[in-house]
Amino acid sequence: MQILRETRLEALEKAQKLGADAVLELLEKRGLEGRGGAAFSTARKWKTCKSAPADERFVVCNADEGEPGTFKDKFVMKHNAETMIEGMLICAYVIGAKRCYIYLRGEYEYLRKRLLEQIDDVVKRSGVDVTIEIVRGAGAYVCGERTALVQSIMGYRGNPQYSPPNITTCGLWGKPTVVNNVETLTCAAQAILFDDWDPKIRLFSISGNVTKPDVYELPLGVKMSSIIDIAKPKNKLKAMSFGCFGGIMPVDPEMAVTPDTICVEKCQHGAYSVILIDETNNVVDIAISIASFYAYESCGKCTPCREGTIRILDLLKKVKRGEAVPKDLDTLRELAAHVNDTSLCGLGQSAGNHVLTSLLHFRKDYEAYMKGGAGERAGENPQKRQ
Amino acid sequence: MILMKIKLNGEEIEVDGRKLLLTICEERKIVIPTLCYHASLFPEARCRICLVEMDGKLVTSCSTKPKEGCSIVTNSERVLKARRLNMELMTPKPPSCSKTDDLEVCDIYSQVGLNNTRFPELRNYKPELGAAVVRDNNKCVNCGRCVRVCADIQAVHAIDFSSRGHYEHVAAYSEKHLENVACIRCGQCILNCPVGAISERSHIEEVVAALGNKKKHVVVQTAPSVRVALGELFGMPAGSIVTGKMVAALRRCGFAKVFDVDLGADMTIMEEASELLRRMEKGGPFPMITTCCPGWILMMEFFYPHLFQHMSTCESPHEMLGALTKTYYAKKAGIDPEEIVVVSIMPCTAKKFESTRPELHSKVDYVLTTRELGKLIKMKGIDFASLPDEEFDPALGASTGAAVIFGASGGVMEAALRTAYEFSEKKPLGKIDFEEIRGMQGIKEGKVTLQGKEIRYACAHGGANARKLLENMNQYHFIEMMACPGGCIGGGGQPIYRDPDTLRKRMEATYAADRGMKLRKSHENPIVQQIYKEYLGKPGSELAEKLLHTHYTKRERF
Repeated sequence: MQILRETRLEALEKAQKLGADAVLELLEKRGLEGRGGAAFSTARKWKTCKSAPADERFVVCNADEGEPGTFKDKFVMKHNAETMIEGMLICAYVIGAKRCYIYLRGEYEYLRKRLLEQIDDVVKRSGVDVTIEIVRGAGAYVCGERTALVQSIMGYRGNPQYSPPNITTCGLWGKPTVVNNVETLTCAAQAILFDDWDPKIRLFSISGNVTKPDVYELPLGVKMSSIIDIAKPKNKLKAMSFGCFGGIMPVDPEMAVTPDTICVEKCQHGAYSVILIDETNNVVDIAISIASFYAYESCGKCTPCREGTIRILDLLKKVKRGEAVPKDLDTLRELAAHVNDTSLCGLGQSAGNHVLTSLLHFRKDYEAYMKGGAGERAGENPQKRQ
Repeated sequence: MILMKIKLNGEEIEVDGRKLLLTICEERKIVIPTLCYHASLFPEARCRICLVEMDGKLVTSCSTKPKEGCSIVTNSERVLKARRLNMELMTPKPPSCSKTDDLEVCDIYSQVGLNNTRFPELRNYKPELGAAVVRDNNKCVNCGRCVRVCADIQAVHAIDFSSRGHYEHVAAYSEKHLENVACIRCGQCILNCPVGAISERSHIEEVVAALGNKKKHVVVQTAPSVRVALGELFGMPAGSIVTGKMVAALRRCGFAKVFDVDLGADMTIMEEASELLRRMEKGGPFPMITTCCPGWILMMEFFYPHLFQHMSTCESPHEMLGALTKTYYAKKAGIDPEEIVVVSIMPCTAKKFESTRPELHSKVDYVLTTRELGKLIKMKGIDFASLPDEEFDPALGASTGAAVIFGASGGVMEAALRTAYEFSEKKPLGKIDFEEIRGMQGIKEGKVTLQGKEIRYACAHGGANARKLLENMNQYHFIEMMACPGGCIGGGGQPIYRDPDTLRKRMEATYAADRGMKLRKSHENPIVQQIYKEYLGKPGSELAEKLLHTHYTKRERF
């Protein structure tokens, strides 16, 4: 796998030899884009940070991967953390930072000890005067959003902030800060060192009703059919979901997975996670579990997300209980579109996708529940439903 | 100024690109409803009520600046629907809109055109009843203005958001009761709450009960800043001086005597100016810091207990007057002090807390805020506007211009300097107006020569400014602190205002009232002179120390 290729500090050496500007040019040429979701050009981000006037700059590695169905960063940190750390050192060298942070997801605490050892080792061997500190998140999904993440590192409540000012020019303690994802930083080191590095190759987290859930490396544009072949589903598939953000869609084996095809409305996709759902599920149940996630993880700052997500969850539960009337589905759609349309941050702006898409493609599942309450579904205990 | 052309509701206009969309619309008289927006705070864009369409995208106008050539629509169906739905989500139970409360949210309700709501109320918080401030999270719409005012303007940080998602709510540290954390009870959160979820602890019922009790002699005293703000509650423009009508209304409410806290203010100045001169003789400790403001006293007790020696020991004016009412006046009028009930009308919620301090021996029984007085007058069915002007009761009712300006930031200092100068120099003060410590600037300073020594003085209003001033307090001899922006005229018990110009108008009215007075120095007040002659002896005498001075206690923050 390309992501597992180790750079063994050679990338840093090469970067130091080339000089900061040449590194930025090289990254631009290689076409490295952020792998966290927004697919923003890494070279441009670093350049903006570097050219912002300041006495101090920071590098933050965003290891707060919390989107349901995404576990590629964990994979990278488990198997190739040294290269990621080297990527941070290269970024620090390019923008002129002395202090770096790894914002580690709360649930990944068990990775911390080994990471610390690896940081010590890599920094010592590289001989550069840079400190890397691990800051552990407290389990809030929204802290993966970069403005909230920066707040959290500074010790404040992890709420997304209104931008501009952008983090890249005004981040930690008001100083220019580069926030990059684990995969991005790892790729940065690899892209600098290896001439045959391919920007089209991405990490896919594949999970759901499949026998082989795992992280796979696949090229962009891969057909859904080959993903299904790799994952080996247990039963006939009914739906698929690209993370939670992408909503719930019918399986289309002919679909080529590219940023354009998996984007629903404004959601952004750099993190390729595929959840495959088979016929034993009612899509409303999937929607309920996604809705609970959003209602639980909403930071509570802006109205539509704070109040809208809980109302969506309520209405979905009402559908499942068999108490909903057709008008409720209209309210549901209105709410979902509203939450998407008027929320402040990326979380809220995609918190209605699962409802909009499932209402569009799986209305039958809703109607089945509305007619007879929670019907005879596999794996459900009828007594529990009472 | 960055000029750019934009389209606003189809009309091509040229605007300053550095201005927010909200400001641009306001200047063109387009009303956009706002909730979380506060002119002097950094925009948070959390309520999403001020949405407008910018190039087909919904954006919050309180935080967005225009782009060259962009097209803004403020009244499309999409915009109106989004605003309405946000309001609906925020208030599952519509607020009760009564005319007395005059809540901001009621205006927004009509602006967004919301009639009925579809969603059930899910929240069930326990309302918090404190001695000064009452909070009900069930009414809250999470606009966060209270939180930001408390943190950014007052620098107290008593409240913040707790929990997340739908369960996010305003709470004090570790979900404690506001009474048990470092809250200075300034009530600025009340002034900024658009839905009335925070309010003062009402004592109207207790006062009405006392007024109905035939055995009690109920005396009322009104603070200097009430008279410049009370009129606003009865539809008068900001800055109307309604002293005469206020006294008449209080008499009609059934109070036996109407006294003027201005007299207490003059007493405070007599004591404070003498204390300053005593400190000058002793050579310190400097700076001496005023203690008229109960919010500031709490702030000092919580955050700066090491400053006790700098604090003046003078009680606040209404406590002094309460003490004199229950001793000097009781003796003179031949009334048993036990029968006297003293009610203070204050611009302040912290005074409610102050009156419960054990070391002050309940010299004042109840404190009503200006807003509560407005309610009481309305309850008693008095037509305020048509009342004649009446005078305070002469027993404790004379006042000077020096006392009137206590209401504005810088006023206590100015009044103290007028008296201290004449006490120490034994000659009349040439220029009576200390212009350098007037106005809305956060920190004001100046200097004067007393006994051949240069005395540097400074004033701060608003908690954040107070903290800033304390950082380099050592260069001053005399400091005036007011917890609320603008001083008492902007106190947490004053009528809730929306026009940011209100404070300036109230301040102008205060200084206008001072100019209109015949006596403008505290020591010229005939009743003050009489009280010292007949009862107290001289400022700082043993009896004065016992009645009019106090001490402070260190308070735990958590």
